Amino acid sequence: MARTQALPIQIATGDSRPIGKQIVDAVRLRIATGELQPGAQLPTVRGLAQQLTVNPNTVAKAYAELTAEGWLESRQGLGLYVAPPRQRLSEDERDRRMDEAIQTFVHEVAALDYPPERAMGRLDKALAVLTRKSA
Amino acid sequence: MYFQGSDMHRANDYVVETRALSKRYGGKVAIDQLDLAIAPGSIHAIVGANGAGKSTLFRILLGFLPATSGDAWILGRDCRDLRPEDRQRIGFVNEEHTLPGWMTVAAVTAMQRRQYAAWSQPAFDEVIGHYHVRPTQKVSQLSRGERAGFNLALSLAQRPALLVLDEPTLGLDVVAKRAFLETLLHSNAVEGCTVIYCSHQMEEIERVADNLIIMERGALRNVSPPDEFRARVAHWVADIPFRRPDPRVVPGLLDAQRIDGIEHYLVLDQGDGFADFLRASGARDIHRLPVSLDRAVNGFLSKHHAVPTAA
Repeated sequence: MARTQALPIQIATGDSRPIGKQIVDAVRLRIATGELQPGAQLPTVRGLAQQLTVNPNTVAKAYAELTAEGWLESRQGLGLYVAPPRQRLSEDERDRRMDEAIQTFVHEVAALDYPPERAMGRLDKALAVLTRKSA
Repeated sequence: MYFQGSDMHRANDYVVETRALSKRYGGKVAIDQLDLAIAPGSIHAIVGANGAGKSTLFRILLGFLPATSGDAWILGRDCRDLRPEDRQRIGFVNEEHTLPGWMTVAAVTAMQRRQYAAWSQPAFDEVIGHYHVRPTQKVSQLSRGERAGFNLALSLAQRPALLVLDEPTLGLDVVAKRAFLETLLHSNAVEGCTVIYCSHQMEEIERVADNLIIMERGALRNVSPPDEFRARVAHWVADIPFRRPDPRVVPGLLDAQRIDGIEHYLVLDQGDGFADFLRASGARDIHRLPVSLDRAVNGFLSKHHAVPTAA
């Protein structure tokens, strides 16, 4: 059985995002970037609450939201695991986020004064990882 | 009279309940027609500016002070009629952590153990384990943080149904505060206990509270999970090149500021319709920003301190 994976996330009080939302965002990001792989076990509600010094109910609600959205799945009596990937976003939302990602990338590249052709080559190589993952 | 008291036990589920509770000191109103109902389980934070009536409320609830009018019950018992066995089920920790300084930790513990029928040594040991407190130390030799921890351990060892914490972390350093919160949130000894947490520290409330109760001038102003309250407050930023609207007509206004010629409004219970109000007032470049819990509560509480000035 998979061991519980450490969840190295942090929350901040005084933020405009509620703590529960910060947890949801952080877990989503880790799943999306592959830092948390499908099948990985998440910390228990109590464990993560202890790690972050927050009310366990806040963690439970965040986990419930992630489960409802299909990021996590619970296995009876065993705990919560990262769910196998499937399309979680609407087509529009997907496009919007893609635009955002491209914008960020282009701005970074512009700041580096990096030749676009070389950037394309490196991007191709980087994206090849994703093709392998989805294959 | 004495036997009549047993009929005063209310068959409802609330841990604390008040009905039209009022307290006046001379002409000054400390509690104003308060209707409060606190359900069992979870952590309820009570927030209010100084003089909001929190301490008066606690004194009435614990039976130390008579109300001017209205009713109050704690654990289903009329607060005017509390018995020793009711008090055994109520833990109370205040900011001073008042304990006899000349006694040793072991002596205070033994005294409490004799006084409380439901005393749980495992609960005491678990909580005190978070602190470097030795049984042979005198209470006066403990640091403020250690005294807070010792006080919490004593209160939880009595296995209370209700734990009232009145600014328990006031004056504690960061490390001691963290230890105190950790005990409160994760100790097995707290399981099944309703906690009423009175504090001004929004950072702590954000971490611990299931429910946020806001009192102002002796009256109840909010009862909801903290995030629901936060969602009621929004920060709008707008550029209004001509005459600004009179603050008195700005709907739900909590706070208005003009920074570098740009208007900043903190408003309560206004949906996206507030943008229409701003547009109708000649605003352009309108933004709605979410706010932190701290900002939401402080804006809400400072509303009545602000003096509206005409533009």
